[in-house]
Amino acid sequence: MLVLCLSAPIACLANEAIVAETDQKLLGDESDGSRAPSIHLIPLFAENEDGEKGGKITPDDDPLLPFSTRWTCGECHSYGIIGKGWHFNAADPNVTPGRPGQPWILADARTGIQIPLSYRPWPGTFKPEQVGFTAREFTRYFGRHTPGGAAGELETQDPDEIMRSYISGKLEINCLSCHNAEFAHNQGEYFPQLVRENFRWAAAATCEFASVSGSARDMIENYPTYDPFMPEPPEDAKKVPPTITYRKTAFDQDNNVSFNIVREVPNYRCYFCHSNLYIDKEDTEKWTSDEDIHLTAGLKCVDCHRNGVDHNITRGYEGEASVSTNPLVTTSSCESCHLGVKDSSLPVAGRLGAPVPKHPGIPPVHFEKLTCTACHSGPWPSEKTILTKTSRAHRLGTLNANKSKEALPHIVAPVFAKQAGIGAEYIGKLLLMEAGKIAPHKMIWPAYWATVENQNVAPIAFATVTEVIVPVFADVNRPTSGDWPELTAEHIVKGLKALAKSVKGTPVYISAGKLYKLDDSGTLSEEEHPSARPYLWPIAHDVRPAAQSLGIRYCTDCHATDGPFFFGDITVDSPIVAARETKKMIEFQDINPFYAWAFAFSFVFRPWMKIIALCSSAILAGVLLLYTLKMLACIAKVLTERD
Amino acid sequence: MFRTISIVAFAVTVGCLALNCIISPCKECWRHPLRKMAHLFTLLLLEKKLSLMEILRKLVYLLALLCFVILAVTGFYPTIILGEHISGYLIIVHATFAPILAICLAVLAVMWARNCRFNLSDWPWFGRIVQRVTLVKSTGEETQRKSSGLGQKITFWLIIILALPLILSIILSMYTLFGTYWQELLLGIHRYTALVFALVGIVHTYLVIRTKMQE
Repeated sequence: MLVLCLSAPIACLANEAIVAETDQKLLGDESDGSRAPSIHLIPLFAENEDGEKGGKITPDDDPLLPFSTRWTCGECHSYGIIGKGWHFNAADPNVTPGRPGQPWILADARTGIQIPLSYRPWPGTFKPEQVGFTAREFTRYFGRHTPGGAAGELETQDPDEIMRSYISGKLEINCLSCHNAEFAHNQGEYFPQLVRENFRWAAAATCEFASVSGSARDMIENYPTYDPFMPEPPEDAKKVPPTITYRKTAFDQDNNVSFNIVREVPNYRCYFCHSNLYIDKEDTEKWTSDEDIHLTAGLKCVDCHRNGVDHNITRGYEGEASVSTNPLVTTSSCESCHLGVKDSSLPVAGRLGAPVPKHPGIPPVHFEKLTCTACHSGPWPSEKTILTKTSRAHRLGTLNANKSKEALPHIVAPVFAKQAGIGAEYIGKLLLMEAGKIAPHKMIWPAYWATVENQNVAPIAFATVTEVIVPVFADVNRPTSGDWPELTAEHIVKGLKALAKSVKGTPVYISAGKLYKLDDSGTLSEEEHPSARPYLWPIAHDVRPAAQSLGIRYCTDCHATDGPFFFGDITVDSPIVAARETKKMIEFQDINPFYAWAFAFSFVFRPWMKIIALCSSAILAGVLLLYTLKMLACIAKVLTERD
Repeated sequence: MFRTISIVAFAVTVGCLALNCIISPCKECWRHPLRKMAHLFTLLLLEKKLSLMEILRKLVYLLALLCFVILAVTGFYPTIILGEHISGYLIIVHATFAPILAICLAVLAVMWARNCRFNLSDWPWFGRIVQRVTLVKSTGEETQRKSSGLGQKITFWLIIILALPLILSIILSMYTLFGTYWQELLLGIHRYTALVFALVGIVHTYLVIRTKMQE
């Protein structure tokens, strides 16, 4: 039995039964080789009050319980093995974090906060508990764009949390969020269910034949002894307990239901959590921009991002093979599909019809310094970075998502920066494996309230910040767009003074790459600080067609003295108006700016160099030809003299 | 691989030249060493009264020599000493002086080719073979003619011949004509041609200096 434990004192991964796996394979763990889809006409099972498999659900049950994916899908698919997959294992400290990825971002305009969070130990992110989030709270905030599991199944030893968990249930892995190809499956319904803490009901609420009303959170806060397995009507008629209704026609005569489950996840399911909106023009409607070229060519996301029953999906980045056990990982990067794998016993290039790129005129040194995505992915770089919205950061695809372009959090892109290392191992401290190439990134400038003790900066719990800062900033005008309020140094001073009364240590404010604190005289001072550094994560998609890749026109696409690749402006984002400035891309590339400028400047003379070299070659060839002919003439003359 | 080959090639070349110095020492070189050194540095300008054309030719030669040294250092230093490809400021310097060397070589080819023509006195054995084959009687002039420096002539023509692939391999790679495979091939050609070019250049310079100091 494998028990995965968190470093947090109270948390331990849920239900040991989940992770207790035997060597016995279940029906759906291994295919028989048929490529035909499996039909899922199956009974629904609920979880009982002991967390075990309950009875088969029929539409006439009373109380009617939501089906449990663990016990319904888990009948044929090893739930515990699936739970170790990439999408569900973030909270497992034993999992190698790999290349830094998109964090969860806690953004709050009222308090001037946008802070990257992740259970994975990616440098620059904070653990949810560092901002005072329990696994439950994290799930309530961010579970909306997860396929369940992970923090949603963490167990706690806090009696209050245990009681809450009994009412709300755990957020099981929602198999349907990816594998339900039925178009009426409504993943957007996940969000309101999680806000209401209807964790037990959330997966069922998204499926096409069930609907859920009521709120477990209302029960938790008003009726702590509420029992969802023996519900009684609450005294307050306005407080509706979570209730599920199944469409009766969904059940056949044996009370089985038919799911349109597919192994190959449709793109639109991936898009729910992995959409990007680049605000690079006035009109950002979907129809005005193209999708990733691979999708346009007819591929599916899962053609490249594959996994077996262990759900250890390939992320597809270079160097992943060193941290992943997926056997396809070596052949699932851009390079391996398009160019093949060196030293492979069999040719693997051209998989899925991938054309072999010629890269005419591109010196090979580019492939040592740049990732494929540097030239081929993300928006074409412009003079200044643009704002970007993502599903997970901006709650895209859910009810009442803020459609404003300026809505927080502010993610800027594309930032051409040298990649951080790949997190290869985590033993107390993250061991980073050198990645080193320049790649396009998304970037967020963290802004948060913290305390400093012995040079260590620790974020203040979000609840404390809200309680203290919201009243202090009550008079600050907040844009309806969801943009930052316009803060001044005076506001920060007020905030820091207010926090000083509520927290231990010296309160500081982190924003725009700087640490703001009050000195002994009560004056606001600022300094560059490592804790204020921006967090970056690489852009992989959307991949542009080859004809739209950087360098397609000429070298000066990048090597120009004002080329955005090196000298584009990166917006330094902050609620403090005076701190809003720009930095150059090159500051994040580990390249001397003067060298980059001088090298770019040399391209002004490149055409002249070519002309000179070609003319010189012509003269040299002419001289050689002339004297070769003279030599032949000499030999001919000698031979003629013989006659 | 290239690094090893380069190190071995340079070592062998320098070793051979040193051996040559030992086996066939230049006695003249060690007389009045200071005067010889001054002569060496002004080798091509002050030795005698020169015409404008000769001054130009020797200036070009000196410039070519300077460019050759700079290109060799910037090209081989990162490869041999650091074990990496040329990059950074070195590549800027390399690319700046490369076209100057190309011009110098073209000018030198035009100006010096006539002086570096081979004649039968360079190849007495070849003359004898030709005479045997063609049954032409020897007039005795050929063997009496003083050799004008066979080594210098050979290295001069080798430099001119090698300069072509050296220049073209890198210039052509700058056009969108060749893909990655050919780019790498062209880069390989440039590297190895540069190595041979550098070795021939060293030998040529050695022979020129030796000849001039003996005069």
